[in-house]
Amino acid sequence: MTQERFISLVRAEQEPLRRFLLALCGGDAALADDIAQDALVRAYVASGSFLGLSKFSTWLFRIAYNCYIDHCRKVRPDQTSLEDAVALPASETSDASFRYQQLYQALERIPEKEKAAIALFYFEDKSIKEISAILNMPQGTVKYQLSMGRNHLKQYIQL
Amino acid sequence: MKEIEDFLRENKPVVKNDPTFILETRRRLDQVEGIKAEVDRQRCYGRLALIITLVAGLALGVIATAVAFLYPVDADSVGKGVLDSVRLFLTTWKQYLLLPVALLAIALSLVLMSGKRSRSTF
Repeated sequence: MTQERFISLVRAEQEPLRRFLLALCGGDAALADDIAQDALVRAYVASGSFLGLSKFSTWLFRIAYNCYIDHCRKVRPDQTSLEDAVALPASETSDASFRYQQLYQALERIPEKEKAAIALFYFEDKSIKEISAILNMPQGTVKYQLSMGRNHLKQYIQL
Repeated sequence: MKEIEDFLRENKPVVKNDPTFILETRRRLDQVEGIKAEVDRQRCYGRLALIITLVAGLALGVIATAVAFLYPVDADSVGKGVLDSVRLFLTTWKQYLLLPVALLAIALSLVLMSGKRSRSTF
């Protein structure tokens, strides 16, 4: 795959990809973009192995998720805190900011797989089948993770 | 449960439009291209060195075998010089000389074939 072709595909996918990683990183936009760049480099290096058997976005999201998991393994748990997880959009109203704060804090409290499944299903409108391919787990497990994620989020988000 | 689903759908994280993102991606991909080109160049040099070594070894082997079979020396009448010692050695072991030559030929053909295969992959 040529660099121009790759860039044109990435241009269409960059916003969903960054939003997915933003949700995983608890609203830390700089960290999310850094992981996204890392994922894009990995994807470009491995672009020869992309055979078109799945959608480009599915393949890219899977690489991005693996990059995020690698990042989580590198970072020690004591280096992160819930306060770090909150990055409020400056242009938003205080009400919206509060909702985002609630959302990011709640997402930070649930397990990684549940968080990823929730982000892909509700923020990126991915199907169960696509989520199954991205997270490399059976469709039944994806549904279970979504159910557990919703139950956990309900405990942390005041509606 | 419907409430939490509505909350999640209505509060998707907002990504700021950042024009530098694609520029930064392009810069990193250019760096990757540079590294790939350097790795390819190093691999090409290594392959070339290997091929030269194998061809030189094959040529020497063929010459040594030819000398051993065409100009055999008599162990009793041979002198004590280095060249005579080499000729005596080749004459003594001439039945085994074809083995390393054949191995070199096989190795060379494998290297040349693998080169063709890797070129066609890219």
